[in-house]
Amino acid sequence: MSANSTSIAMEAPVEMQIQEIAFDGQETYAPSLSMSENLTKLAQKIDFAKCGPEEVNKEITEINRNEDEAEQSTAPPIWPWDSVRNKLRNALTEVSVLADLLTIAKGKKYVVLDPVPHDPPELKPMVMVYARKKSFAGAASVLLSGAERLKNSLAEAQKNRTTTADFHIELLRLRQNFRLKKVNNTIIGDLSYFRSSGSKHIHSGTFEVTKSEEEPDKLLSPPCSPNPNSANKLTSALRVTVPGELQGIASIKVYFQKDQDSLYSSNLNTPDTAFSIPEIDWQRKLEVAQNVLFCKEMFNQLAKEAVQLQSPIPHVVVGNQIIASIFPGVQLVICLSHMEMSTDGKASLPPPIPRHDQVLEHTLHQLLRELHEKKNYPLPHPASAPLGPSRKRSCAGPYAMDREEFVEMTESQTMLEQVIQQAQHTQLRDRTLCILDKLATQYKDPLISVHWLWLNSPTYACIKVTIFAQGYDEIYRNLVIIHVYDTYLKCISRDGKVVHLSYESMELKNYILCQICRHQIMAVQYLAKSMGWQCVANSFNLGSGTLIETFGNASSCILVSPVGDRLISIHCDQNSRVQVSVAQTPRKDFFPGQLVKERKWENLGNSFKEVQWEKMIGKNFLSKMELLMTSLTSSWMQ
Amino acid sequence: MGVTILLSYPVPENKTGPQTVDLLIKRIGALGAVQSGQFLVDCETFSSGPTMGGPPRTVHVLHNSEQPAAVFALLESPGPPPKTVPLVADGLFDLLMLKMSSIYASKKQTRMEARGTRFEIADFLVKIGTVTMSSNFKGVLVEVEYRPCFIAGNCWELMREFMQSFLGSVVQNTPPPYFQVHNRLNDVYQPLDTIQQYLDHFASYRKVAGL
Repeated sequence: MSANSTSIAMEAPVEMQIQEIAFDGQETYAPSLSMSENLTKLAQKIDFAKCGPEEVNKEITEINRNEDEAEQSTAPPIWPWDSVRNKLRNALTEVSVLADLLTIAKGKKYVVLDPVPHDPPELKPMVMVYARKKSFAGAASVLLSGAERLKNSLAEAQKNRTTTADFHIELLRLRQNFRLKKVNNTIIGDLSYFRSSGSKHIHSGTFEVTKSEEEPDKLLSPPCSPNPNSANKLTSALRVTVPGELQGIASIKVYFQKDQDSLYSSNLNTPDTAFSIPEIDWQRKLEVAQNVLFCKEMFNQLAKEAVQLQSPIPHVVVGNQIIASIFPGVQLVICLSHMEMSTDGKASLPPPIPRHDQVLEHTLHQLLRELHEKKNYPLPHPASAPLGPSRKRSCAGPYAMDREEFVEMTESQTMLEQVIQQAQHTQLRDRTLCILDKLATQYKDPLISVHWLWLNSPTYACIKVTIFAQGYDEIYRNLVIIHVYDTYLKCISRDGKVVHLSYESMELKNYILCQICRHQIMAVQYLAKSMGWQCVANSFNLGSGTLIETFGNASSCILVSPVGDRLISIHCDQNSRVQVSVAQTPRKDFFPGQLVKERKWENLGNSFKEVQWEKMIGKNFLSKMELLMTSLTSSWMQ
Repeated sequence: MGVTILLSYPVPENKTGPQTVDLLIKRIGALGAVQSGQFLVDCETFSSGPTMGGPPRTVHVLHNSEQPAAVFALLESPGPPPKTVPLVADGLFDLLMLKMSSIYASKKQTRMEARGTRFEIADFLVKIGTVTMSSNFKGVLVEVEYRPCFIAGNCWELMREFMQSFLGSVVQNTPPPYFQVHNRLNDVYQPLDTIQQYLDHFASYRKVAGL
């Protein structure tokens, strides 16, 4: 240590501000400010806006003033967001004022806004031109790209419509209807339907699908819309090859044949009747091939049944024909006509079939489909049940079927039997129709009206025949109901008698003629009753006597007048010829002879005198009778 | 399936069961009936074991030779409320019951049968049968069916008259108790109704102690 220096101790004076001095002299010091409080106090004194030394004096006075104001104003701001809030509050005030001003200006009553004219901005023409050119180019490019796209799609659509369709699209459409599978390099399709419909006819029909590169305009593709009027102009990219035995068009022809025609007729194929089958699209081609398969199956089934069935006259199966006899003398011929294509593309027509019966053909189709459906075995419920029985048999348990229902289930008729039954009914119905029509046109005196009931079935029809006289149908009408079954007729007459007639049409004619005769006499009786005359005797079955015609019956009756003095005898025979005779009691020509002496025997009545019936006035038999009875009744008054 | 009425014919004191049956057959033969085969209605009872829990339930399995493919089952559950559930099923139901032998045990002693001949007269079908319970004779049951009608109320009078003609005064003038409940007289008649009538009669025969 040197002798010149002296160490000086420096201390901050512990000067705390005296807050108060108590009476006893004790001093209370105000707590001294901490470092941060001190700093805050000093920072508040700084006004950052003014930082020049010449303003220091001002500053001091300002600081003093500020301090006074700060003490008078609110508490010192300890929240740092306070200034922000103040500024926002000022902004809100200004915006509210502006909003108010705008509202008033909108009203246009107190304040009106006027535009302030601006000076026009200076123009730079070249810049504007360039800007416009650029924007036009942008718009043009957008429009051009859109137009290009539209043109492309239109061109494609055009191409699709007029030119050949895509092979794959056609294949897709084909797959919707037929099963296809790919074998090696070829696509094979399946025409058989036995798996899906329950048929037992295992005949595989396959067809081949190929692309057609050559001759695309000969092949057609099926039309897109089911509208039959739209012309089909599309050509196809698909070619379908059908196996040889299924080509062509096949159908089952059904017709009746009488014994006089020869059973075996020869078919002549005349070449000039050949024609070419027009090219059809592949869908129809396949459908036609499947139809050939169906017809072959049907013919096979019928042939099998024809051979197995026992019938009084055996059925004959020859070539493509099945001949079954319905009635003696009438045969039903079912033949499979297959119009095949010969090698040069021309087909030969089969010989023309006389009066092919389409109803029976339709019946055959329906029967085969029914057979398929019955054989279509359902999956049994529960799964453990046996698989064999048909749907009805499986339900027999839960439905508690009777023994009779079981027996009914086991009885079934083959297709051929059913068709023969229907054919028999058709023939019988036609014969009945003919007979009734002929009789109705022939007989005018009692009129015959025939009414066929519209409720019928393929093996049953019902006819109501009314026989009445014109003008006198209120007096008496004869009714006959005829039920037409397959091999016999059942006729029920007005008095309730039931007669079974066979298929011979003459039996029906006989029956109706008898009924006509009966009608005449019954009508006369009723007419007589209404006029007061009495019937004393009648007979309905007099037989035909020695006449040659053996149809019909003769009947007669005797009427007596109300007083009892006149007798009329009427005899009506099968041709509607009537013989009317009149007698009188007492006889006018009584002469007592050797044997008959007394006068009283004149009351027995004399012989009958015939009336000339053709000269009688009257429209028909009953009106003539009425006239006769009237005239004879009033004669007693004379 | 026509309306069927089942009657229990009381065996007179001095006659045995087979003699009664012969007597009835003679009477019905005198009316002009034609015998057409035999018939058999049998009933087997199963009751549920303790594994099921709750009060024991019974299942009656009946067969009727008139409906050869069907098996009738009636479940009686005593739990409140007591109800009977009927079922008509295929023949496989018997095998199902065999499989359930651990749950539903069959009481072989209570197997009941009604066996006899069936006769056909015009629209009626008459069956005269002997009821046996494990080869003990229990009674004679007569079943009369009127085939054309299937509403009991419409043909009760006709059937009563017909039955009184060969059964005599055993036939009451009021319909049997089965038809008097639940408006059964006006309901369509089902094969199940026949079975339920048989079950009722079998139950009453079971109650009769030994014969």
